[in-house]
Amino acid sequence: MIELRQYAWGEVHRPEATSAPVRVYVWELPVRVSHWFIFLPIVVLSFTGYYMHNPFIVAKGGTTFMMATMRFIHVVSGFVFIAAFLLRMYWFFQGNSWSNWRAFLPLRRRQWRGMGNMVAYYSFLRKDLVHHVGHNALAAVTYLLMFTFMLIEILTGLALYSQVRGGSVLPVLIGWLPRLIDIQHIRLLHFCIMFSFFAFVIHHVYSAVLVSWEERNGLIESIFTGYKFVPGDELEEDAAVRKAD
Amino acid sequence: MLPSNQTLSGALQQKGVNRRRFVKFCTAMVATLALPPRYVAQVAAALEKARKPVLVWLQFQDCAGNSESILRSSHPSVLEVVLDLLSWEYHELVMAGAGHQAEAALERVVREEKGKFIAVVEGAIPLADGGVYCTIGGRTAWDIARHVCGSAAATIAAGDCAWDGGLVRANPNPTGAVGIEEAVPGAKVINLGGCPQNPANTAAVLVHYLTFGELPAMDQFNRPLFAYGRIIHDQCERRANYDAGRFVQEWGDEGHRKGWCLYKMGCKGPQATFNCPSVRWNDGTSWPVKAGHGCLGCASHRFWDTRSPFYDRLPTVPGFGADVTAGEIGLGVTAAVAGATVIHGIASAVRDRMRPPASPEPPTKA
Ligand code: SF4
Repeated sequence: MIELRQYAWGEVHRPEATSAPVRVYVWELPVRVSHWFIFLPIVVLSFTGYYMHNPFIVAKGGTTFMMATMRFIHVVSGFVFIAAFLLRMYWFFQGNSWSNWRAFLPLRRRQWRGMGNMVAYYSFLRKDLVHHVGHNALAAVTYLLMFTFMLIEILTGLALYSQVRGGSVLPVLIGWLPRLIDIQHIRLLHFCIMFSFFAFVIHHVYSAVLVSWEERNGLIESIFTGYKFVPGDELEEDAAVRKAD
Repeated sequence: MLPSNQTLSGALQQKGVNRRRFVKFCTAMVATLALPPRYVAQVAAALEKARKPVLVWLQFQDCAGNSESILRSSHPSVLEVVLDLLSWEYHELVMAGAGHQAEAALERVVREEKGKFIAVVEGAIPLADGGVYCTIGGRTAWDIARHVCGSAAATIAAGDCAWDGGLVRANPNPTGAVGIEEAVPGAKVINLGGCPQNPANTAAVLVHYLTFGELPAMDQFNRPLFAYGRIIHDQCERRANYDAGRFVQEWGDEGHRKGWCLYKMGCKGPQATFNCPSVRWNDGTSWPVKAGHGCLGCASHRFWDTRSPFYDRLPTVPGFGADVTAGEIGLGVTAAVAGATVIHGIASAVRDRMRPPASPEPPTKA
C-alpha cells in the first residue's frame, strides 16, 4: 500500500510524471452529454434572453417576427437546458466516484485542505499544482454553486413562463414563487444570474487550459472523449484517497 | 331617508332613465364581468328587484382620484345608474352634510344597517404612532375603518392606497400606511387595484353582488378575476409590433408616431394584469398605452416600489445607485473577470518560467 501523501500547504510539486500514464475513463457519457447540452443552450438562452431584455435589433416594417421568434427559441432551449440539468442531477447518484455528488459536497476535511491548496496556487502563494484525476475541491464547489444558480434560473424561468403560458400544471408547480417574490424581482434575478454564467465560462475555460497545461493529462480532450491519461501512481493514490474516505 | 325600501326600477323611472338605457347598462356590466350574454336578463331582473343597499364611501389618506374617477365616468351611465343602484349615505367629496351631522349619518348606518351595508374605502390607513397621521372629526382613520368596515357586509377597497397602501405606503412610508385588509384583518374585503380604480369594475362588482348575492371570484390578492385575471400585454393593441420586433426607441421618434410597442420605453404591460385595455377610460375612449405611454403597472401589488423605475424594464439593483442598470453591472462584472483572467494568465506563464527545471530521472514504471 502506498503512503498517502499529505495534501498540505507547501507540498512539493511533481514537475514530471513519475510513472507511465494510464488511460482512464473519467467522464462517463451522461456527464459529457449534459456538459454540452448545458453549455450550448446557455449560449442560446443568453443571446435570446438578452434580446428579450433589450431588443437591440429593431425591425423596420415588413413581415418580421423577431421578438416572437426569440421568445420561441428561448423557451425551447430552456427546456433542453432543463432536461440536461436533470440528467446531470440524476448522474449525481448514478455516476462514478468522480462525478458523484460526494465529489462535490465539501463534507471532508481533505476537501477543505484541497480548496486551500487551490486558492494558494491561484493566488501564487505556492508554486505547484496538486494533481487530481477528477475535479479539484475548489472546482467542485464552484460547480456546485453554478448548479445552484442554474436551478435558480430554471425556477425563475418557469415562474416567468407560467405567467405567460397559464394552463393548469405549471402554475400549480411554480405558482408559489411569484407569490413569494414580486415578478419584477424574479426577472431581475433571472437576468443578473446570466452574468455569473459569463464570468464562470471565462474562468472555466481559462482554468481548464491552465490545469491541462500543468497536469499534461489530456484534460481538455477528456470532455469530448471521456478519457484522461493519468500517471499510474497518481491513479493509485486517487483510488487510495477515495477508499480512505 | 333610511333604510330606503325603494327598488331600483322605481328609482330609475323616477329619474327618467328608460328601459333601453338600463338594459344597455346591464349588458355592459355582463361584458365587464366576462359572463356570457345570456346573463343579461338575469342581471336586469335581479337589479330591478333589488332593494337599494346602503353604501358609505370613506376617504382616508387619498387624493380623491377614485371618487373623481367614478363621478366623471358617464359610461356605463355609472353616475345615473350606480348612484341609483345604492343608497349613497356618506361620501365626503359629494355629500351635502358636514361636520357632526355627517358623522351622525355614518354612525346611524353602522348602527341600523349592521352587517348589511357596503363600505367603499379610498386611501391608505396610517398605523404609525397610533394612527395620528390621518384623523377625521377627532378619530383616527384606523379607528373609523375598524368601526365601519368591521360592521359592513363587504368592503370594497377602491384604488391602490386602500388595497396595499399605494403611493402613501411607497418607500420609506413615513406614516406606516397600509391597506384596509391589513388595517382591519377581520373585514371581508374585495380589492380593486389601479391608480385610480376603473369605475366600470367597481360598478361590475356591485352588480355582481346585487345579482348573485356574493362577491365575484377572486385571486390571491382578493382582486376580482374578471378584472385582474389577464395580462395587459396579451390584450394590448400594440402587441403585433412587439412580436414583430418594432419598438419605440425614443419619445416622438418614427416608431412612436407609428404606434409601435413601448417595451423599450419601460412598459410594464407584460408584468401587469388588469382589464384596462378592454374596459378603458373616458367612455371607453383610451387607456395609457393607446395614448402613447408605457403601462406603469398601476394595478400591480405595491407598484410604486415594485414597478419602478417607470421608464426602465428592470428594477435597479439594491445597493447600487438609481442610474446604474442591472445590465451595466453585469457587463462590468464580466469585463472585470475577463481582465483578471488575462492578468492571471500572464502571471501563470511567468511562474512557469521561474520553476526549477524538471528532475532528470526517467519514469520508474513502464
Ligand atoms: S406597449 Fe406594452 S403592453 Fe403593449 S405590446 Fe408593448 S410591451 Fe406589451
